Amino acid sequence: MADEIAQILVHLRRATEAECVLLADISGQLIDAHSRMREVDPVLVATLAAGDVAAMAELARQVGEESPRGAVLHEGAHKSIYLVNVAGSFILIVVFQAETPVGLVRLMAGRAAERLQALVARYEEQLAWPQTLPTTNFRTALMDELEKALGELPGR
Amino acid sequence: MFINWKLREINLKIVYYGPALSGKTTNLQYIHAKTSPSIRGELVSLKTRGDRTLYFDFLQLELGQIAGLKPRFNLYTVPGQVYYVGSRKLVLQGADGVVFVADSQWDRLRANVEAMRDMEENLRALGCDPRVMPLVLQCNKRDLPNVAPVTLIQQQVGCNGVPCFASSAIQGIGVFDTLKAIINLVVARTQKQL
Repeated sequence: MADEIAQILVHLRRATEAECVLLADISGQLIDAHSRMREVDPVLVATLAAGDVAAMAELARQVGEESPRGAVLHEGAHKSIYLVNVAGSFILIVVFQAETPVGLVRLMAGRAAERLQALVARYEEQLAWPQTLPTTNFRTALMDELEKALGELPGR
Repeated sequence: MFINWKLREINLKIVYYGPALSGKTTNLQYIHAKTSPSIRGELVSLKTRGDRTLYFDFLQLELGQIAGLKPRFNLYTVPGQVYYVGSRKLVLQGADGVVFVADSQWDRLRANVEAMRDMEENLRALGCDPRVMPLVLQCNKRDLPNVAPVTLIQQQVGCNGVPCFASSAIQGIGVFDTLKAIINLVVARTQKQL
């Protein structure tokens, strides 16, 4: 399924010549990223996009929209950002050149969102199952690693 | 908790909650300032012109692979001011654990209680039971002269039995202990659920 999602994102990026196409869940967890923007952290983009979509959905609800699932567009001088809600649980994020027609991005992102809808429903089912941690010693190993990382700090 | 098997990452969302000006952002600023750039990302703050948190602060910490998975901790703060209740609820969505940053000053005791009540209501509205959400209490600003005893704060906010740390986030005291405690609780809860 991950490959199918990747395929859709890659196709969208090519069709719109986008700088970056990401899929995140509604709480901002990054699922997949296809980007040529090395200076941009996809995790950060996913987090901020989730905040933006959540705020816009709430705003829409406040003005009477019953199940707001609209898209959010930011038109920049050099780069623009288009956020699409997929099935109410995921967000498709497209960062594209300002010269690219917005209509093209809307159209292609809309089609990608439709194709993703079926896949992400399956993905969501998978997420609803308990996700197994690799070993029972995982917590001890993680806490040791954390202790090491924070313990090496100067001035503590 | 969110495990991304494709990227081989385990993501944990931890939210710093508490009344206005209790030191939530200061916790993240200290963590950002004192951790190696190799394990942390940029500290992003969505704030007002007056430097108050408008939506949230965000900082990610990332450790090396453990058993084939890379742990990633996503730390958020909420805006403490009363009228940003909507934003607080949005940030709480999907949280794996909460650090409640209480302001230890006598005249902020009531604000702590109200913020705790607000947090519990928001969690319930999101379908989470506040009694099972991993929680750590941090009694902050212990460096100030007019502070109430830690036991009184614990009692007032109803956090008896919850791990509690006396801190001065501005001096870095108790910041990492709090962080380690909440991560420990979150991972322990996840393992218990399995």
